Amino acid sequence: MTVYSFYIFDRHAECIYKRRWLPRPASITGKSSRPTSDTPIANGLTSISSPSTRSTDDDAKLIFGTVFSLRNMVRKLGGEDDNFITYRTSQYKLHYYETPTNIKFVMLTDTKSPNMRVALQQIYINLYVEYVVKNPLSPVEHPGGVGVNNELFEQSLEQFVTKVLA
Amino acid sequence: MPVYSLIIINKAGGLIYQREFQPGLRKLSTNDYLVLAGTFHGCLRKRSVHAITRSITPKIPNLAFPNSAAAPTTSTTPATPSTPQTAATAAAAATSNTSTPAPTATATATATSNLASSRLESASSSTSTYPNPSAPITGLETLETEKFRLTCFQTLTGTKFLLFTDPAMADIEGIMKTVYELYADYVMKNPFYQIEMPVRCEGFERHLGGYLRGRA
Repeated sequence: MTVYSFYIFDRHAECIYKRRWLPRPASITGKSSRPTSDTPIANGLTSISSPSTRSTDDDAKLIFGTVFSLRNMVRKLGGEDDNFITYRTSQYKLHYYETPTNIKFVMLTDTKSPNMRVALQQIYINLYVEYVVKNPLSPVEHPGGVGVNNELFEQSLEQFVTKVLA
Repeated sequence: MPVYSLIIINKAGGLIYQREFQPGLRKLSTNDYLVLAGTFHGCLRKRSVHAITRSITPKIPNLAFPNSAAAPTTSTTPATPSTPQTAATAAAAATSNTSTPAPTATATATATSNLASSRLESASSSTSTYPNPSAPITGLETLETEKFRLTCFQTLTGTKFLLFTDPAMADIEGIMKTVYELYADYVMKNPFYQIEMPVRCEGFERHLGGYLRGRA
């Protein structure tokens, strides 16, 4: 299973963390070029394909718009307690998890991946709450990703995705 | 494991058929169904959710096989409406269906062909490829929630079938195929049916009801 990218949106619809992975991690991404939410594009992926495509900023906005309208549509159809879980196209699969505090976790994987709702929930409980929410130096809100881009969170997320989900 | 409802959207994005087979989903107003149809309208100009789900397809840098992967990517693009060949037909469809003034249609055509050329350019420069280069890039195909599953099937002519079923339902593709066959037999072959207009065909209603209710 391949994870392509991962996004966190806060309740103000702002992208507070984004991360992209290459299918072959050894090829161009070095340890030093580990991207944070402050420097969204640091690895070779975007520097190669950026001239003719959108930036990751725009991608995050498009993804938020998509999950937001799908979530609203699902609530209209299935009732207030229904939750949008995932959608699939011929090329990729998008998984969605929303916490009770309206923080939205989005992950893009390949189409053959199983249901990742539990994985996103684990990222929230074991990584986000532990390393971001419980961090005394982290602000309550995270404008521009402040507080989320700490080393502990990013390293453990990296480990979780490469070791647990691989 | 019931089929909740079926929606058919014509290629201009209009709702032409909507029927509920089993209660389970909440009733929407007609306006909400029209909004839902618009959400799945795959036209690039409208930037619907369906089109956006296609445009956020992740790109993978193509390092190992620079030449071999470029060919499948280019060969798959004719299936998507963003190619120059289909751009002309799309513009023609826009003019005939919605009676848009000609300048808008040409603007759309140029916009689409620009987009197509940029996509072809990115494919031919062979720096990146799509995750599944053998399949055409499509928009949303299935959507799952806790209570229902939505399957979206787009015919080659651009008509979309949205089927709302139970999440545990098996062989939705088979059901969709039968629904499409019924549509072809009882709607498209009906000499009194006006193309692109709301479907009011008794034979279709009867057979569809018999087929989908029998599955509950």
